[in-house]
Amino acid sequence: MPDMPLSLRLYRRLLQLYPAGFRENYAEPLERAFRDELNQSAGAAALCMLWIRLIADLARSLPQQFAREVAQDARHTFRLWMRRPWHTGFAILAVAIGIGANTGVFSVVNALLLRSLPFHDPERLAYLRWFFEPHDSAKQFHEWRRQSTYLGDAAIFEQFDANLGGTGDWRRAHVVQASANFFSVLGTQPVLGRGFAPGDDVDGTGWGPLGRNAVAVISYGLWQELFAGDPKALGSTIRLDGNPLTIVGVAPPGFDYPGKSVLWKPAAFSPGNYGWETIARLKPGVTWAQARAAFATEADRFWPNRTTLQRIQYPSTITELRDELAGPARKGSLVLMASVILILLIACTNVANLLLARTTDRATELSIRSALGASRARISQQLLTECVLLSLAACTAGLFIALWTRSIAAAFQPAALASQAYSILDGRVLSFAIAASVLSGLLFGVLPSLYAGRVHTFGTRALSDTRGSRLVRETLVAAQVMLTIILVAASISVGRAFLDLMHVDRGFERTGLITVNVSLEGTTHSDGGRRLAYFQEALAHIRRLPGVRSASATEFLPLYAKAFIGGRFQMDGRNASENSMIVPVLPDYFRTMGGRILAGREFTDADVQSGAQVAVVNERFAGEFGPPADAVGRETAEGNDRPLRIIGVVRGTDYMTDGAQSNQIFVPSHSPGGFFSTFVARVNGRAQDHLAMIRDTIRSVDPQVPVFGVKTMEQRMSDALAQPQFYRTAVFCFTAIALLLVIIGIYGIVSYNVARRSHEMGVRMALGTTPGQLRLSLVRSGLIPIAAGTIPGIAGAILSGRLLENLVDGARPVSAVAYVAAVLGMAVIAAVGIWVAARPIAQLDVMEILRTE
Amino acid sequence: MPPKEQSAPGALTPLSPAVFHILLSLGEGERHGYALKREIALRTAGKLNLGPGVLYGSINKMLELGLIQESHDRPDPHLDDERRRYYRITPYGRKVAQAEAARMRELAQLAAARFGVPKHA
Repeated sequence: MPDMPLSLRLYRRLLQLYPAGFRENYAEPLERAFRDELNQSAGAAALCMLWIRLIADLARSLPQQFAREVAQDARHTFRLWMRRPWHTGFAILAVAIGIGANTGVFSVVNALLLRSLPFHDPERLAYLRWFFEPHDSAKQFHEWRRQSTYLGDAAIFEQFDANLGGTGDWRRAHVVQASANFFSVLGTQPVLGRGFAPGDDVDGTGWGPLGRNAVAVISYGLWQELFAGDPKALGSTIRLDGNPLTIVGVAPPGFDYPGKSVLWKPAAFSPGNYGWETIARLKPGVTWAQARAAFATEADRFWPNRTTLQRIQYPSTITELRDELAGPARKGSLVLMASVILILLIACTNVANLLLARTTDRATELSIRSALGASRARISQQLLTECVLLSLAACTAGLFIALWTRSIAAAFQPAALASQAYSILDGRVLSFAIAASVLSGLLFGVLPSLYAGRVHTFGTRALSDTRGSRLVRETLVAAQVMLTIILVAASISVGRAFLDLMHVDRGFERTGLITVNVSLEGTTHSDGGRRLAYFQEALAHIRRLPGVRSASATEFLPLYAKAFIGGRFQMDGRNASENSMIVPVLPDYFRTMGGRILAGREFTDADVQSGAQVAVVNERFAGEFGPPADAVGRETAEGNDRPLRIIGVVRGTDYMTDGAQSNQIFVPSHSPGGFFSTFVARVNGRAQDHLAMIRDTIRSVDPQVPVFGVKTMEQRMSDALAQPQFYRTAVFCFTAIALLLVIIGIYGIVSYNVARRSHEMGVRMALGTTPGQLRLSLVRSGLIPIAAGTIPGIAGAILSGRLLENLVDGARPVSAVAYVAAVLGMAVIAAVGIWVAARPIAQLDVMEILRTE
Repeated sequence: MPPKEQSAPGALTPLSPAVFHILLSLGEGERHGYALKREIALRTAGKLNLGPGVLYGSINKMLELGLIQESHDRPDPHLDDERRRYYRITPYGRKVAQAEAARMRELAQLAAARFGVPKHA
């Protein structure tokens, strides 16, 4: 209408803001009233006043009308729910599971990836990997960091376990030595005392000269535990591996970076120490892209002549500290997040299907309302309100489920993020839950409200179950089948990766094996010559215990040692293709571990006592130089060191949890008792029953020596594999939930169809079709949407399989056989569901049906 | 929309000024929305100037409560624009208006006894 005044057009737009019911009844009189007023308002001032009044009027009446209509719709919805409590209960439960699983996993993802770290301005903190800045002396390091063009500041630290004492019992603790600016780079202030002062870090080997760096900042927890929170702790002395340190500060609560550190001391720089890790804060104004470019150049400068292979194996990277901390948990969490989103989608399609079926059922009611003047918009608004209310109810229930999923997930948090509690009441988590519920409400509300539009268009014609609505419902079933196949394939793939992990040949027998750690650092046995005597005495005691078959000790226990020493060994003047780790062990080690000696023999007491230059090598190393058994009697050496005579060849031992093998050279341990020193004992019967006895025996040798890590090998395995096992269990649970939802969905649709078509069925039975034949035909037609869902399902599963390969270690795409099995399995489950749901056909009373005709 | 089950007239009091004024105007005869608005503005010397949203919001609520109903009789067809909607008071609406008037009278009497009533406020 070109001659319509602008004001009127504007007012019409504003009228659209009113809820549907009010708009339908009063749009026309409202517009008329506006015209009347408009006609009487001559001049710009009057028009201006009119608009001010109108806007005030809108502001008053809009909320009132909305509250009225929503209250009306809500009352109507509750009446409907009460009428069909099972139906409603299932719909709420389905969405609650979806939202609950989502929110729980999101709270973990939130903590790992999204939430801030307990540091100042954490987005600018970086972790530098495979980067060798100058750190031979304090002066060298501080000069380098001060002249950096892209880093505002940088700190280095070294973390290790040490014996902590001086205020009570000796204990093993995770501690850090760091450059003096460590706390200022992180932006963390001690709650008591001071951090490190410039110049606190000094040059020196080991602990360095006892001077400026003989100070320590302790964690809040340690302060509470040792000093009961007494400020007098400042100035006290604490001993680390026997060296006295003066406490100068207490870290804030929750601060335990890196790892679960309880003590930080200033660094002692020494040439050739490559145990340092580097963190940095970007210079103000420098972007991450610029920092990465500058870093790459510098990394090359500090590590020149790197081979291509080295570049691939040890890539220098600068990453956000948060990504570094989240580590492998990050990828795993993303996999979990993807699976729970699939569940939410399945739950939504399921509920959409249920609601659609019910809306079709309510066609009579809706047609009557439509005939009484309710518009399409009004009915859609009613249906949408129903859905949003349903999802809000589900959201509340979902939060309880989230509490549970979160507590499970929290149990498996990586140690690096231990200080980050997973809070369900975190604003971001809550808004995620609410957004998920409202979005899913809209998602499954769209279809019923579209259908309402059809009711309005066709009036009571929609009473008949049209081809179109059946098609929509079957498409929804197909979509569910598709999503479920993706999940099933993913869970098979992840589950198999885990099984591979469990069944990998580790080169030792894990049952009936007890492991106990000790550390001689800082004790009266720490002198070179006395170390071996301590171990021999303890082993003699252990071997005398009833039930102990054999006992030994090693400096590097599989799955426990996180770092190892080694180098490029050679044989017959030829270098091995990769570095070999050196594992010092005591006599009887292989017998105790259940390792397999392929050729030769293992070490004897004489080898250890005499300091013989002998070695036992693993099959992989020996295999590089010919048939493994032929290695016995030959010599191997690292660089120009004295050669070692090979006396035996063994199956390799798996040191990491990923089943990776490495070159291993075992040597007699002449000076045991270092960082990862561990007693091992093979016992008869249940290993757990012998734990306390062996621990007490070792303690009795010298109560001053800290005894820790008293565990069976099986416990160590399950600790090491806790994370993959958690992911496997979670993905399995999610798949089970998805399958359950699909079965319930299919069951619901079929029983609905049977109920709707009872008349037709009755007629067909009267014409001679048996109930069995009818049920079979239902199974056939019910399987069509399932077949339709399998094709995109398999396509999606292949894609997600590729993604999983990158995200989960050891995950391989599922084979064609597995797909066929999964699809057939689903078809069988669905067919049984349909058969059971079609049971009422057998009870149909043909005469009754024909009589109503 | 069908009227709700009617509660006792006194249960709806006190009425909002808009509702009471609409009832007052309809007590005299049928009116359409705009006429109601003008009449109320006149009666209150412009103090109660109902905007369209509040006016029809009140009408909507009064229809639901059964205080008024839409009238399909038309006055003189020459005077009338047939697209306008007319409303009339229901017997229940009358009772509610009476209840409100009685409530106001009691209040006015109480105030008179307490403070006295000046001839011109």
